[in-house]
Parts: sequence; C-alpha cells; structure tokens
Amino acid sequence: MFLDLTEEQKLIQDTARDFAKGELEPVAAQLDQGCDRGLLLANLKKLAGLGFMGLNVKEQYGGTEAGVVAFSVAITEIARACASTAVTLSVNNMVCEVIQAVGNEEQKMKYIPKICSGEYPAAGFALTETGAGSDPSAMSTQATKDGDFYVLNGSKIFITSAPYAGVFVVWAVTDREAPKGKGISCFLVEAGTPGLIIGKEEHKMGQHASSTNELLFDNCRVPASAMMGKLNDGFRIAVAELTGGRIGIGSLALGVGLAAMDFSTRYATERVQFGQKISSFQALQWMVADGYTELEASRLLLMNAAWRKENGRGFAKEASMAKLYATESANRACYKAMQMLGGYGYTQDFPIERYTRDARITSIYEGTSEIQRLIISREILRNFS
Amino acid sequence: MKLLVCIKQVPDLESRFKPNTEGSWFNEADLAWRMNEYDEYAVEQAVQLREQLGDSAELTVLSIGPDRVVEAIKKTLAMGADNAVHIQDPAAATKDPWQIASIIAAYAKDKGFDLIFTGMQSQDRGSAQVGVTIAELLGYSCATTLVGFAFDNGTVTAKRELEGGIKGVVKLKTPALVTCQLGLNIPRYPTLPNIMKAKRKEITALAVADLLTVEPLARTASFHSPAKKGGGIVLEGDVDNLVDQLIGILKDKTAVLR
Repeated sequence: MFLDLTEEQKLIQDTARDFAKGELEPVAAQLDQGCDRGLLLANLKKLAGLGFMGLNVKEQYGGTEAGVVAFSVAITEIARACASTAVTLSVNNMVCEVIQAVGNEEQKMKYIPKICSGEYPAAGFALTETGAGSDPSAMSTQATKDGDFYVLNGSKIFITSAPYAGVFVVWAVTDREAPKGKGISCFLVEAGTPGLIIGKEEHKMGQHASSTNELLFDNCRVPASAMMGKLNDGFRIAVAELTGGRIGIGSLALGVGLAAMDFSTRYATERVQFGQKISSFQALQWMVADGYTELEASRLLLMNAAWRKENGRGFAKEASMAKLYATESANRACYKAMQMLGGYGYTQDFPIERYTRDARITSIYEGTSEIQRLIISREILRNFS
Repeated sequence: MKLLVCIKQVPDLESRFKPNTEGSWFNEADLAWRMNEYDEYAVEQAVQLREQLGDSAELTVLSIGPDRVVEAIKKTLAMGADNAVHIQDPAAATKDPWQIASIIAAYAKDKGFDLIFTGMQSQDRGSAQVGVTIAELLGYSCATTLVGFAFDNGTVTAKRELEGGIKGVVKLKTPALVTCQLGLNIPRYPTLPNIMKAKRKEITALAVADLLTVEPLARTASFHSPAKKGGGIVLEGDVDNLVDQLIGILKDKTAVLR
C-alpha cells in the first residue's frame, strides 16, 4: 500500500500552498471584514489562470485533468488561507464536473472552458429551495415546455457565487404528476437570461467573501437545448454530483481545521502563564494531540474517498464518511484552538474566530452531517439485510 | 540558442535542523524540500529568455542529487524548461562546491550552451562558489548577483547588486554564465496544466560517477548550532557603585563611551 502523493500531486499541493500563503493569507481577514468583492474576483481570476477551476476536468475542455486527489489537496491548501475562496473553487469544480458528466458535447464545449479559464468568474449550482433543503426532491421551481423553450418559474436559495456566476446549473420540476424525484430535470441557465433575477444576499455567520444569494425565476425562458441530461433524470444527476462535492467540502474543512490547530499550537509554545509555556501543560498537550489526530483521520478518509473516485470505484459512502468526519473534526479543532488562545481567540485580532465562523457551515452545506449519517447507515445496513 | 539552468533542492528553511550522526552536515530525515530560492530567480529569468527567443531556443534544467530532486526538476519543467538532466547522486550533500561545479562543467563542456543561469548561492550551504567555478572551468564570461537582465543580439546586459545598495551594469558576450539574486524577478507559479504536461518532458538520468573526476578541495568538518550565549550580567551594590560598574563595562566592552 502506497500512501504518498505523486510528484504531480505534490507540485499541485505546493503551488496551492505557495499561492495561498502569498496571495490569499495576507488578505483573508480583509475579505472577511469588508466584502471586497473585487479582490476576491481578482484572486479567482489568478487561480483560474493557474488551472484550479477544472482540476478533475479533461484537457480538451480546458481542465487540468489532474484527478480527484489533486483536487482535494488543492482545496485544503487554499482553505488554510481563505475558506471563502476555497468554497468558490469547490463549487466551480463541481459545476464543471456536472457538465462534463451529463452535458452533451455542445454544452461541454460552450461552458466548461469559460469556467476553467476564468472568463466566468464562477458558476452556480442551483438546487436548494426554501422548502427543499435536505430533501431536494421536494422542490417546487417549475420548467414548463413551450414549443422549443422551457419557461422557468420559482426560486432558489443559498446559491453560492450567484452575483458573479456566468452560468447556473438549475434543477426544476418538469413533470408534476411523476412520483417524487422522478419528474425533475436539469438546465443550464446563463447569467443575464431575461427572467433570471439575482435576489438578496444572505448575511452569513462566516465565509463572508463568498456571496450567497437567492435566485428568482420569473418566466425565465431558456431554449429546450439548455436541458442537461435526460428529461426527468435531474434528481439522479443532483444526487450523484453532490457526492463529489462532498470531497471538496470535507477538504475545505480540513484546511480550516489545520489552520486553526497550527495557529493555536504555535501560540501555545510562546504564551507564558504560571511562569511556563502553556504548551507544557498536559491539558493543552491533549488538545494538540486530539486535534491533530482527528485532522489526520479526516485527511486519510478524504484521500480514500478521492482515490476511489479517481479510480472509478464506488465512493458514495466513503465521501459521506469523509465529509461528516472532516467537517465535524474541523469544528472541534476550531473550538479547541479558541480554548487554547483563551480570550484572545475570541477577538478579531487573531484569526481563530474567523476560522470558527468559517468552519461552522461545513457540517451543514452540501448535505448536513445528519444526511451524511443517513447515507452511510443506509449503505451499511443494505449489506446486512 | 542553448540555455542551461542549474538548480538545487534545499530543505525548507523553516525546518528544524539536527546534525547527522557524524556531525558533518544536517540530518535529512523528515525534512520538507523545495527549490533553492535563488535558483527560482534563475529559472524564471531563463524561462523569460526562452519565451523571448521562441522555438529557436532550448532550455535545459540540471540538478544533482538523490531521487527526491526530480520533484524540483519537474517544477522547473512546469515553469517552462524544455528538458532536464538529473545527475543521480545520493551523496551530493557531502560534495564540496569544487566537485559540484566540476560535475556540471564535465556535463556541459561539449554541449555548447550559450548561456548558463544559476542561483547566486544555495540557501543551505551558501558558498556562492558553484556558478563562478563552472564559468571558470568552461572558460565562460561571468557576472554575479544579478538584479537585472537583458539579452539582445548575442550580448547579455547584467545589472549587478553591489555593496551599499549601489548597482553596476556589465555587458557580457556569450558564452556566459550569470548568477541570480533576490529582486531579479518574481518567479511564476507553475500552472497546473503545465505541471501535468511536464510528465511528458524528457528527464535524462546520468550517473554521477561518469562525470566526477576530481577530489574535494574542502571538507565540512563540523555542523552545529551556535553555542548558547551565557546569561546577562547582574550588577549588585548601591547606586553609586552600580553606575561605576556600568560605565566601566560600557568603556571596556562596547564602543558606546569611546
């Protein structure tokens, strides 16, 4: 068994780390505080130029074709510096992969190169609705056939990157009579399409630099050729593609957790109380040991899921396990890190409070921890019945 | 036009260094490795020249060391070098700058390189001898510590950093060798597609035994951390006495009161 990264994967990890350290870390706090959208977009443009938007996308569509392991380690390194940038990267990669997996050749050639090259600053994944979160098949946005067009009506919420996305993958009900989940289809909707309205931006707890918006469809007409995949096959597509996205979010959480533990551990070796470095107290040593052990377990779970996906094995259970464990251990790492810094950790003079806010969403979006447990247990119980 | 850039892989300088069992160099176990920073400036400048000259130029990268140096070589290929030579030597760290320069000169002597780029020095050994020694062995003109570079019509215009912030400009005819200093350029990040494409570029492996014919001229006798400084001096007595003692120390041991 070989657990080392390949030379190419190491170089991609190094490039991501160097970029994160040089370009993202110095501005991450500023992005968090001020919502300097221009700065975020400039960094995304540079990352696209370096090939970070289509890590697991074929070269012919402008992708890097570096695989899923490379995607995972890259997202982790970016997230160590800036979770907002990392989530945008993760979603962009996921949209590229959805189009690559189910789009026709024309759709692939039309959209994937624009996302990979940075011509589109971002791309949107529009599934969630007010009444359809963990249960996306309960969605109510509709697409009604009208000659050679579909007319979309309804709304989506919590759409990452909506104000600067060039294209959205949108799910809508195309057959109201069909059983639940059997009448949903998937569409590619370009930004600026009449009737597509970018709604209000959410005021979130963390990941401030990444915009999260409502998306409204008011008689939004798209050509019938905008449908991606087969009619009424959309729900299956969504479920399949979210699985890959979970590796991205788990990797992001790992990066935030590592940033928190690295910062707090360094702090503990410098801070003196009772006449000694606080790292000499066993209470803190155990936090260091537990924090890093959990993050290492997260990393191995993520590498396993990424490797299985890259090698064409089943990976749904493994991706859910990795996402569940990495995101929850990242939250625990941030909790420990703040405890180690004491009152300073609670102030904005140190980055731990930002890491804590940024980590919190990871066990919620792209499938809550509870949904991951549902998927994992269902897969396991199937083998026992 | 044939270009060569020589690179060295060095430990990340944030590593914790421990002497090896012989106490002659650092223990390499568990270190993270990177390309020598000065070599990154050399690579960037060589790649910029390669781009300026187009397909009439060929840029080769060379590194001496164990298998791990291939990672640094691949980074250079991803940054834009055309091909590479890996001189395989698990014991490169024990060789002195004279031997390293001799190995490179032995490889380069019949290859007709017009211009060779090296870092000003390595971040670990820091001798700053390899570049100039290669130039001497090959009979090339040479300029060191470059902070500016231009090439036109067979002439290199090199801006050099001198002491005290003063700059000098020298012009060199090819064949020439230049050593590169911080501030020369900002090395590019290798793009991910180029990292993947670097897999297809040729890396020629050569055995060091076929190129090394000289004995070392210098031997590293010892590698150690600086001795811990003793604690400060605590003066005792009444104030008059303390002041006298302090003035005495400042006069004897410092330049403050001279």
